[in-house]
Amino acid sequence: MTFYEKELKRINATVYSNHEQIETVIGIRNHMDNNYGNELNLEYLSRVRFVSKYHMLRIFKRHYGLTPRQYLIDKRIEKSKERLKNGMSVTEACFAVGFESLGSFSTLFKTKTGKSPSNYQKEQFSRSILNSES
Amino acid sequence: MKVTLISIPVRDQEKALKFYTEKLGFIKKKDTPLEGGNRWLTLVSKEAQDGPELLLEPAPLHFEPSKIYQDALMEAGIPYTQFDVESVDMEYERLTTLGVAFNVKPTKMGIVKIAVFNDTCGNNIQLVEML
Repeated sequence: MTFYEKELKRINATVYSNHEQIETVIGIRNHMDNNYGNELNLEYLSRVRFVSKYHMLRIFKRHYGLTPRQYLIDKRIEKSKERLKNGMSVTEACFAVGFESLGSFSTLFKTKTGKSPSNYQKEQFSRSILNSES
Repeated sequence: MKVTLISIPVRDQEKALKFYTEKLGFIKKKDTPLEGGNRWLTLVSKEAQDGPELLLEPAPLHFEPSKIYQDALMEAGIPYTQFDVESVDMEYERLTTLGVAFNVKPTKMGIVKIAVFNDTCGNNIQLVEML
């Protein structure tokens, strides 16, 4: 067994020994992945897995390194990119992925990707035209 | 500042190009000749062609400490870097069929599943899937 394999074994036995807790956070992440278009708050997410709100927040952050809210924002931005690429309007994409205000969507999108949603979409279109010509 | 490039040391650039494109499925992006038969050789992943480039650099051939470091990682089974995949199990099946050797089979580690293979160019590479 290599050094790395020994380390994996050791870490699995110490850091990841609480299987129930890991199943809980994985379940919450999967729930967000499948329902990002709906309104999701901490209260609701903790009820999905029958744990207290603050416990859920703490263990999610411990395992994923992000709070559920940060995770959800990243997921929504990623999904809005797919929709913009497929030609959906900025407003439609914003609401389809669960954002409630066009203003906050545009600001977040720009912060995370460096471009506004409409500029991002224009770039994608010109790229797909280039691809079809080449 | 932006992250646009990560590099992997390889013993043979041509062999690495073949392995990383034909087996792993990366696409060649830049290939510029440098002196002494060396190349500036970069790849991108098929599903994120505007993402960061992977530089296959011949450092172990020209800088002894790089070779020593690479050998030590290989010996200890430590991955040089890792790539994200949709499904570790599926990639494990696919690559095993193509003759790629894994020294860590798909293993759950908390919220991720990992596996480690030998890239035949001097490195262990880890695949990771977020669960």
